[in-house]
Amino acid sequence: MSLNISSSPHLNNDLTTQKVMMHVLIALAPAIAASMIFFRHKALFLLIICTLTSALCEQAITWLRKKPSTISDLSAAVSGILLALILPPATTWYAAVLASVFSIIIAKQLFGGLGANIFNPALMGRAFLMAAYPKMMTTYSLPYNVDALSGPTPLALNKFSQVVTPNWDLFIGNIPGSIGETSALCLIIGGVYLLILRIADWRVPLSLLVTSSLVAAIGYAFNPGLGSVAFHLLSGGMLLGALFMATDPVTTPITKTGRYIFGIGCGIMIMVLRYRSGLPEGVMYSILFMNCLTPLINRYTRPKRFGI
Amino acid sequence: MAHVKEHKEPQAHTASESFLTPSKLFIPLSQHVGAICQPTVKVGDIVEEGSIIASSNVFVSAAIHAPLKAKVVKIDTLRHPILKRAQGIILEPIIETKNYPIRQTIDDLTKEQLIAIIKNSGVVGMGGAAFPTHIKLNSPKPIDTIIINGCECEPYLACDNRLMIENGKEILTGIEIAAKIIQPKKIIFAIENNKPEAIKKINQAINESTIKNVPVELKVMKSVFPQGGEKQLIQAITGIKIPGGKLPLDYGCLVTNVATCFAIHDAVYMDKPLTQRLVTFAGDALVTPKNIWIKIGTTLKELFDKKILEFKCEPKKIISGGPMMGTAIDGLDYPILKATGGFLFLAKSGNTKETACIRCSRCVDACPMNLLPLEYAKLAKKEEFDAAMNIYNVADCMECGLCAWSCPAKIPLTHYAKTIKKYCTKK
Repeated sequence: MSLNISSSPHLNNDLTTQKVMMHVLIALAPAIAASMIFFRHKALFLLIICTLTSALCEQAITWLRKKPSTISDLSAAVSGILLALILPPATTWYAAVLASVFSIIIAKQLFGGLGANIFNPALMGRAFLMAAYPKMMTTYSLPYNVDALSGPTPLALNKFSQVVTPNWDLFIGNIPGSIGETSALCLIIGGVYLLILRIADWRVPLSLLVTSSLVAAIGYAFNPGLGSVAFHLLSGGMLLGALFMATDPVTTPITKTGRYIFGIGCGIMIMVLRYRSGLPEGVMYSILFMNCLTPLINRYTRPKRFGI
Repeated sequence: MAHVKEHKEPQAHTASESFLTPSKLFIPLSQHVGAICQPTVKVGDIVEEGSIIASSNVFVSAAIHAPLKAKVVKIDTLRHPILKRAQGIILEPIIETKNYPIRQTIDDLTKEQLIAIIKNSGVVGMGGAAFPTHIKLNSPKPIDTIIINGCECEPYLACDNRLMIENGKEILTGIEIAAKIIQPKKIIFAIENNKPEAIKKINQAINESTIKNVPVELKVMKSVFPQGGEKQLIQAITGIKIPGGKLPLDYGCLVTNVATCFAIHDAVYMDKPLTQRLVTFAGDALVTPKNIWIKIGTTLKELFDKKILEFKCEPKKIISGGPMMGTAIDGLDYPILKATGGFLFLAKSGNTKETACIRCSRCVDACPMNLLPLEYAKLAKKEEFDAAMNIYNVADCMECGLCAWSCPAKIPLTHYAKTIKKYCTKK
């Protein structure tokens, strides 16, 4: 009789990192479907390029570092798909490859791989393209007609031309934008799935969306030209950011209080950037900014000792 | 706190059996926290059933009694489920039935006499830590609330459940004795809501009991792990959070396990020392999981040799205690101790490969003591034990196992906490 005498506990719940990532992929399925409906072959093309490059980079780095392969934990696939979903439909293949390489190798693996990165890898990939190809990153194709026409996103329209896009189009996703961010409906379905299964913690999305709504409500009361609450919640990367980027466990605080602070900080930053910056959108930079503060937030929100 | 799969069937619903005629007894001299007892018998002696065979003069200690009339064969190093190796007495029982006298009333006994009887009977807390009961009952501070712990939140274990169903009356008598000693303002009997039969039986026993002057209240608790932890139970019932370094008695509380109450009854009403207990034997490697009344010192090997327990398949892991806090042992040569609630025989070792921490903080959310397991595990991996202890208060950890249970990366977080604690106490 050969007996295992490992330390207690002798039971595990059956959730694994791989299953967590699998649930995120399932939650992203509606948004992926929407991206293919609105942006056709461009969406499919970007999704395939980003996922493949991310997976290859992950594999190459583990091979170089002589570490066991981590490709089966699916984290590289999640990063790749998330990156594709936040790229404009007209992103060229080489830009998509560069962004994937940057996100997996620089933003994730050079910091130590899964769990050790400070910044959200997908957002870092996009931030890199924003700096390297600013023109490409601000040219958005129209839905259904991706090859011929391009137009401003609803946020840009509102900010620079004071034209308001109907909420229904924002909700369904029939608007120009990054391939996965346009359909609020599909993102909400996926987000609710993650929250119900408790794969993502509800504190960050809730505090982020509530804070943005409050700021938007105040802004709207003073100047209706700034856009209504519903407009700000449904447009741009707000829902994709709140439900899928700001809930990335690695780069968000580990304490409950910290998660509220993170969400509130993101919410304020998003609205400040939307109102007062040269860019129409601010979700990416807000989340990256709060990612840097995460270690500090963790440090100052350590839970009190039991009973003291 | 989290809901852990219970695995309590079928042992929670089958009547308990008994096996009280072992051919050999292996009785370790260390049965509880506190001082190790010294043998008071020599090799070759014939000892009577219920006579003291080992004791200690140190304050925190409880005497050990002969479970049966027996010959002392050897005093040697024995296997011990927790300490691995420990001194112990080997007895060869001479089967002879002893009739215990039954006391009619305890009205004529004083508080001091009752405590002396309990002390002489070697009663210890039977929920796991095995703290001597006579010291607990002789509290230097006034106690307002006695909490009777019938939660049994560890998966698989069902002996307390069976005891409440089958011996509710004796448990209540034991509580009555404790109440006579302590004179509390109220007594609360806590049972988790996954034990409806025990709740019914205890409710009935409370209505029929003769406890005077003190209200006894049955409180049905949510079944979450670790509801039966002393601090968690006190918090759930009274709202008081007891910080590290303080004892329940500092806050006027006393928690005692149902099996201990039963042992108090036996000690006072029958002059019967603590030499047997109800033990759960469960797990998917057994043909029929069951609860058995068993003499302290009986080994697992004997139970299998006598076909009282049978393997369905070869076990990959044998655990003394529950699956969350118990200790894995390396064979069948281990004896039952006073505080052994069960032995589990699992067909799967349940070990999975550790992967990188994704900082999902499921361990933080699960920890009943507000600790940050992922952070101190990171320091422990770098062998920065002192830093881990000082920054993250690992001393508060009660090793309930929930952090490692909840971890999707399968990091042995509880093991790291234990390592930090051990390293820091050794110095």
